[in-house]
Amino acid sequence: MLKHHIKLFFRNLARNKSTFFINLVGLSSGLTCVLLVFLWVSDELNKDRFHVNKERLYQVFRNVPNGQGSLNTYGSNSSLMLTSLQEEVPEVEKAVAVFGINGNAMLQTEDKKLGSTGFFASEDYFNLFSIPLLSGDANEVLQDINAIVISKEMAKTLFGTNTYPIGKNLIIKSGVNSFEDLFTVTGIFEIPKNSSENFDFVLPYKRFLKDRDPQDIHWGSNSSSMYALLEEGVKIDALNSKIKDFIKKKDSENQASVFFGLYTDNYLQNRFVDGKRSGGRITYVILLSIIAFFILCIACINFMNLSTAKASKRIKEIGVKKVIGAKRNALILQFLTESVLLACFSLTVACAIVVLILPWFSDVTGKELEFPLNSGFILVLLGVAFLTGLFAGSYPALYLTKFEAIKVLKGKLPTSFGELIIRKGLVIFQFSISILLIVAVSIIYLQLDFIQSKNLGFEKDQVITFERQDGLAYNMETFLEKARNIPGVVNASYMQGNMTNFSNSSSNHRWPGQSEESKKLTFRHAHVGRNFIETMGIEIKEGRSYIDEIPNTNSKIILNETAVKLMGMENPIGTVIDMRGPNREIIGVVKDFNIQSLYEEITPMALLCRNEWISTLLVKIRKGEEKRTLAALSKLYEEFNPGLAFNFQFLDAQYQQLYVAEQRVASLSKYFAALAILISCLGLFGLAAFTAQLRKKEISIRKVLGQTAAQAFIMLSGEFVKLVVLAMLVTLPIAYALANDWLSDFAYRIPLRIWYFLGAGFVALFIALFTVVGQAAMTANSSPVKALRQE
Amino acid sequence: MLLSLKNIFKWVNSGGQRIFLLKDINLEVLEGEFISIMGPSGSGKSTLLNVIGMLDGFDEGEYHFLDESVHTLKEKHRANLYKEYIGFVFQSYHLLDDLTVKENLEMPLLYKKFSSSERKAMVADMLDRFNIVGKKDLFPAQLSGGQQQLVGIARALISSPKLILADEPTGNLNSKQGEEIMALFKQLNDEGVTIIQVTHSEKNADYGSRIINLLDGRMI
Repeated sequence: MLKHHIKLFFRNLARNKSTFFINLVGLSSGLTCVLLVFLWVSDELNKDRFHVNKERLYQVFRNVPNGQGSLNTYGSNSSLMLTSLQEEVPEVEKAVAVFGINGNAMLQTEDKKLGSTGFFASEDYFNLFSIPLLSGDANEVLQDINAIVISKEMAKTLFGTNTYPIGKNLIIKSGVNSFEDLFTVTGIFEIPKNSSENFDFVLPYKRFLKDRDPQDIHWGSNSSSMYALLEEGVKIDALNSKIKDFIKKKDSENQASVFFGLYTDNYLQNRFVDGKRSGGRITYVILLSIIAFFILCIACINFMNLSTAKASKRIKEIGVKKVIGAKRNALILQFLTESVLLACFSLTVACAIVVLILPWFSDVTGKELEFPLNSGFILVLLGVAFLTGLFAGSYPALYLTKFEAIKVLKGKLPTSFGELIIRKGLVIFQFSISILLIVAVSIIYLQLDFIQSKNLGFEKDQVITFERQDGLAYNMETFLEKARNIPGVVNASYMQGNMTNFSNSSSNHRWPGQSEESKKLTFRHAHVGRNFIETMGIEIKEGRSYIDEIPNTNSKIILNETAVKLMGMENPIGTVIDMRGPNREIIGVVKDFNIQSLYEEITPMALLCRNEWISTLLVKIRKGEEKRTLAALSKLYEEFNPGLAFNFQFLDAQYQQLYVAEQRVASLSKYFAALAILISCLGLFGLAAFTAQLRKKEISIRKVLGQTAAQAFIMLSGEFVKLVVLAMLVTLPIAYALANDWLSDFAYRIPLRIWYFLGAGFVALFIALFTVVGQAAMTANSSPVKALRQE
Repeated sequence: MLLSLKNIFKWVNSGGQRIFLLKDINLEVLEGEFISIMGPSGSGKSTLLNVIGMLDGFDEGEYHFLDESVHTLKEKHRANLYKEYIGFVFQSYHLLDDLTVKENLEMPLLYKKFSSSERKAMVADMLDRFNIVGKKDLFPAQLSGGQQQLVGIARALISSPKLILADEPTGNLNSKQGEEIMALFKQLNDEGVTIIQVTHSEKNADYGSRIINLLDGRMI
């Protein structure tokens, strides 16, 4: 029986090549989307899942009232938290503290020098996190204060041998931390592919504490991340309500409440709103999965529509079989077999396409994806093909087999009103999805464009930034002095953190006339150089800048507009406040400028003129002289850092990296939208061709009775235009709501205009018209005699 | 007795009026009969044939087929009954274009419980009996009308039905082909197969043992 079905499938296919082709193209591109998104999603979902104790592995977070009515969440904690966790919280089996080194540190052997990233971590780091040690014991590698654990790649690059360089020495210099010391390699690790964190070396946390000024070790100074492995069976909600006031009990001044958040959630749910996890990457995982699913749906609908539209061609077969003795179930099975076969065909094609375009797709998504050939994946593939076939075949199978044999044998295909509605409804659905995707793509692009051209309150063009490294750790001011003398350099300065992230923040500040609520106000702050405000082109609203200041003054501070407003100060200049030092005079107020992504509102900000903890140098160069100026800067840089390449970045490029996720989604959805409309149009094309054929007789009669070709053409194409217009009407409110929702995440967003939506609708309409016009014209112009004679 | 119809009525309601397709039909058919149904267009010949073949229902009356009372049977049982005992031959043959002669013959057997080797034997038998072995791998489009109808009849016979219903079996054939088909029917009837045919032609009707004339749904 199955053989019979398969045989019929192939003969049918040979006879209806165009339908087969449309279905094959549609289904295989739909399946390609699904496979690609599946690979991408499973990679995202697998991030950090290699940790053996992932169910019990938590990070300690702090929720701090920001003085504006909501909570800010921080992953950083005081170094005091480590021993407190270990000794005072019985639910904690093990705890680990991590202090990240800002920017690149220089790793140096006798003959090699390499910028690399790493952090300080306490003893149990490799016990908590399942990062495999190729050499060394997890319990011991971080015991010695001068120990260093390095990655396999680092070992190879620095020492060049294939044996592990255990016991060898290397020097680490960190410009930011003004830190230089000799370390001995105690272990080699290899970071699993699906780790969200990537680093080259780990140093003992003890070493970090040794250099730490005892004055800086208190509950208000939060510099380290804390991780905890909880005992088995601990109820996390109960624990969280128990330790909520942990910090407040230690330090009555402190407003922070504490909670444990699952470490493996950090990757996908990386955003916090008012103290709770609120989406993040997971949004895009869900979004793309939905898009892929819908594209497959569109392809399945093509199959359904074409199969039912072509029913009259199969209906005789069904009638005869019914009369001869086939039960309905047997016929349903036959049609399902056919659609599953088609799906398997399409799957094969899809797999081939996926293998071909995977390098490109990896590039677009910024991942290293590969086509997995394990039994699990193959099972998934077959499952997808089977379900797709079943879904696509379900409606045709049920529809085609329901007629009474006697009726279909008379050659009459009963077309019910309901069936017409379903078929048209399906086309409307396809175009709704296509229009929705077009709207989505345009809104995302417009918003990204808006963000990139928005006035940020500082000038991001013509500014290059580079890390303070090596020689610059000691001679930064001299370097800048010389840099300013290069013709083509407009100005130069330095800062803590960088322009896309002032990572430091503090609260508990005092000022005259302070209200109770504003005591909680959290300020972001950064150490900056004298010429910082001028280099960045930030406008002064009142007072003066640091231009003539000697660094490391403890008596002056500059605030931004928002800070002054929230502090409730009328005449800020000259007011003495207690902020990062007891007696600071406000010497200036700058206009607001954006330092984070435009998801965030501008927060209160303070600029301090200090040269400690500086990680970034900024140089503004004159337009049109970039090449010469950069060459001169590079030369100067090498004088200060012999043997080190001048590795710089333009600030506007750095700024764009804030929206990498959005840009990826934008470019992906661009392709998906194109695909959706392509598949929809393929279906429409098939349907139009078939309708034209069906209506040949009708058109002929009309023409004999006096209808002109033009009228016939309008009548035929009008049918499809109606469907697309309906799809527009259905989609636009939904698109509007979704766009509004997505944009509401941004503090700064484009206004939604009606023509964005109408434009998308018209694009779809135009493409649809383009698809059906040829068919309609052909039918309208055909000779009526021919069609009538066929009767 | 093979089947009996008692006071069969069939009607449709159109524009508030009841239009009778069959009116008070009484008919008894014995095994081995060869009946021809005749009458002008629209007199209800095909409707009567479809009612007998259980492809179509009726509104009033009693229908007994091999001691089963068809009018009380559920749709499913009725279908099983005709699938087992009745073979159909159509005016336009209704062969499946995508299947070869051999496969067309085999198709009815696929829906009954026959093993592959049994099916092969039965098909070979039928090809032999109708002298079409040489055509077994051809598609219907490669055959003449008469040959196609031959295959149609062979297909109707392959599961050895008790009754063959033929709706104008020679309607699409020229006179020579028609005569051959009728001769075949006659031969089958002689071998014991009961046949009911609908025909326009007096000549074809003469092959039968009995003629039923219909006018406006009524037997005359």
